[in-house]
Amino acid sequence: MDRVVELEIPARPEFVGIARMAVGALAGIRPGLAYERIDDLRIVVSEACTSAIEVLGREGRLRLRCIDGPKTLEVRIEAPGAAFESAFPTGHPGPDVDSFRISLIRALVDDAELRSSPGRTELCLVVHREAASDGDGGLPA
Amino acid sequence: MKGTHVDLGLDVKERNGWAVLSVQGEVDVYTAPQFREQLIQLVDQGQRSILVDLEGVEFLDSTGLGVLVGGLKRVRSHDGDLALVCTQRRILKVLEITGLTKVFTIHESVDAAVGANGKG
Repeated sequence: MDRVVELEIPARPEFVGIARMAVGALAGIRPGLAYERIDDLRIVVSEACTSAIEVLGREGRLRLRCIDGPKTLEVRIEAPGAAFESAFPTGHPGPDVDSFRISLIRALVDDAELRSSPGRTELCLVVHREAASDGDGGLPA
Repeated sequence: MKGTHVDLGLDVKERNGWAVLSVQGEVDVYTAPQFREQLIQLVDQGQRSILVDLEGVEFLDSTGLGVLVGGLKRVRSHDGDLALVCTQRRILKVLEITGLTKVFTIHESVDAAVGANGKG
């Protein structure tokens, strides 16, 4: 059974740590994700939120929707406008930080997809769990 | 000198001609400005051999990488160098993915680095 956790944060740098802490904590509830993979996901969430904050100029809010299923953990980050420009550039990426960001996102999650709708964009990040869990999570007895 | 940010600790010591900047905590978009400012300050003070000790870093993303690359460019423009101390797999992985293991000299310890510099 999927479990959904939602978090909404102001698009400001001081809240990025809260987003990755929440996602990291949720990822560890159910078995099937090694600590290293959770750490990878925390990095990608940080990259995505930072990308949005840079575009939004610290205005607006980011909505994170985490869908914790037996086989995958999906994190959808929704923001106003074209908020993930440096994570998914339409043209060539800028030097240094932008290209680092793209490299990290591509390398550290199993799937990353940008979905656009009028006035909003959503970055969908997916990691696959290594094995199907018992469905309820937690440590084995 | 000590940083004041709640999530980031910065400490500078002199070792055999190196300015050793030890970083503790999380380096992200919130804390990176303080890290950047510290590196700029070291170069402006005339430091030309800077060693950034990442052993106490718990989290590093592309913003932090940008600070390191900016610091390297700045000190190299003054004919200096910036090297790293890092043995943590999680941090090394980020450096490897972004190709920065080929850009920075990475040492296993501060002692190894300051010895390698040949100034002691």
